[in-house]
Amino acid sequence: MKIDGGDTVIKNCMKRHVISISASATIRQAAQLVEKHHIGVVPVVDDEDKLVGVINLGDLLSLELPDFFNLLPDLDFVHDFGAVEATRPFPEQLDLSVTKLMQPAVYIEETCGLLRAYALMVKHDLQDLLVVSGDGSLVGIASRVDIGAAILSAWKTVAGSTP
Amino acid sequence: MIAQVITTLIFLTSLWLIFSEKLNRAIAGLLGAVLMVGFGKFMHFYDKSQAIAAVDFNTLGLLLGMMILVALLEPTGFFQYLAVWAGRLSRGRPIVLLALLGSVTTVISMFLDNVTTVVLIAPVTILICEILGINPTPYLMAEALLSDTGGVATLVGDPPNVLIASAAGFSFADFLTHALPIVAVAWIVALGLVRYLFRRELAIRPSNTEVVLKLNPRETLEDPKTAGKALVVLLGAILVFFMEEPLGIHPAFIALSAAAVALTWIRPDINGVLRRIEWSVLVFFAALFVIVGGLEASGVLSRFVNLIENAYIIPPALFGVVLLWFSAGLSAFVDNVPITIALIPVLQGLGANGVDIQPLWWALAFGTGFGGNGTIIGSTANIVVASISERTRTPITAKLWNKRGLPVMLATCTIASVLYLFLYPLFTR
Repeated sequence: MKIDGGDTVIKNCMKRHVISISASATIRQAAQLVEKHHIGVVPVVDDEDKLVGVINLGDLLSLELPDFFNLLPDLDFVHDFGAVEATRPFPEQLDLSVTKLMQPAVYIEETCGLLRAYALMVKHDLQDLLVVSGDGSLVGIASRVDIGAAILSAWKTVAGSTP
Repeated sequence: MIAQVITTLIFLTSLWLIFSEKLNRAIAGLLGAVLMVGFGKFMHFYDKSQAIAAVDFNTLGLLLGMMILVALLEPTGFFQYLAVWAGRLSRGRPIVLLALLGSVTTVISMFLDNVTTVVLIAPVTILICEILGINPTPYLMAEALLSDTGGVATLVGDPPNVLIASAAGFSFADFLTHALPIVAVAWIVALGLVRYLFRRELAIRPSNTEVVLKLNPRETLEDPKTAGKALVVLLGAILVFFMEEPLGIHPAFIALSAAAVALTWIRPDINGVLRRIEWSVLVFFAALFVIVGGLEASGVLSRFVNLIENAYIIPPALFGVVLLWFSAGLSAFVDNVPITIALIPVLQGLGANGVDIQPLWWALAFGTGFGGNGTIIGSTANIVVASISERTRTPITAKLWNKRGLPVMLATCTIASVLYLFLYPLFTR
């Protein structure tokens, strides 16, 4: 069922210019894209621009942040990371395909309502939500602020309680 | 005869399922136990009441009591505190760090579950090594090898010891007079050997040793108050363990009493504590008792006893050494708990036939204890450090363990054998 909610659907508040990366690219190229554009999420698309996954800044940084940190209850007692600060990923790790590091993408169709979009972001702890067309092609991206501001703009129509 | 063949098959299949990791060991044990009782009832040689009688509740009680103490201590940060303290004290000198982390892990493992100890200390070990820019492998392997070795020294240090003590009637003090001296020598040799085998890695002196001095052990203590209370109770329990014989109480009662006192004093969230208890271990033990009870009831074990008796022409001291190596060899590949549970009734059978089995219990304790060092799957602590090391850039492989762990097993078993022969009269008392 298509929702036609006027201003209350995602396509009216999303950004249409999405910086994405091809599934045949390397992790190194994804990192360069993030660094160049200062973005936190890079959608991975196939040759037909269909969304196949997503690379987050955190996924890239996980190559540098040692995995054993997850086993420690906290790190407050470590006041100097010493040699860990100089740890870099192995070159062969950076030359792997982005598909090795990408996560399944959480996305919505462009006719999705704003509140549902926001609820999905909260549930999946996302800062940006990808938007696809009916045929699965990536058509946009919306941040929490984009969606939140669009929802709040509807409050203007709520009548005040004081005369 | 059919009953003996089928019960042997059930036992061996359960062992294979555990060994091959086709099934979780508690599930494999439970399946084997149910099959054993079902088949025993069908063939009229083993019933429900015999199965319940086969379970050694003293062992289960002692394990449960100690597990509760560990569960109380675990979230307080006490284990991490000791590891960080060792790191600071070492001032980043690799060999001192190895000896200190090995000693801390060993001392804790002598009184508390060594798997929990390794699970909590290994990540801090990796952290210390990584900030120093050194390879954590020697330290992780030393912790597993030395805690496995040191655990043999006390009644509560190693699950086979708990089983042997319960079956043989050995007290906490018996272990300190009989096992501790041999274990102390074996432990020192094991440490020296680890140092030699990893001489290349340990020769690299970190350039930034000051980073360990910036670690603050006090900040690892999440709940110092609870840690203090749990430690007071633990120390009290250890003192009472020494008085076990004059007081005429069983270690299980002491451990469960300590758990009750600690719980009453600390008053923790009981559901949280119970969640940290390793119920699967208790189920595994209980199931194995039932399986081996079936083997015994079907007459397999007495057949085995007769077989051994026929071979009992070699001097008793040498027979002990053979048992030590036999159990060590098995323990290197199969969990030492089923081996101990299966061998206990065999030794008891020999005893009933007039053989002096007192020294054989000690041989079994040394064999099952030191044997686990031989392979990466020889003990749970080995498996744990290997799996934790996979989160580093230098994972511990089975091949590496064979090169560095197996020599430790062979050395400790050789030392135990020589000292066993020299001190044989001590073990007959």
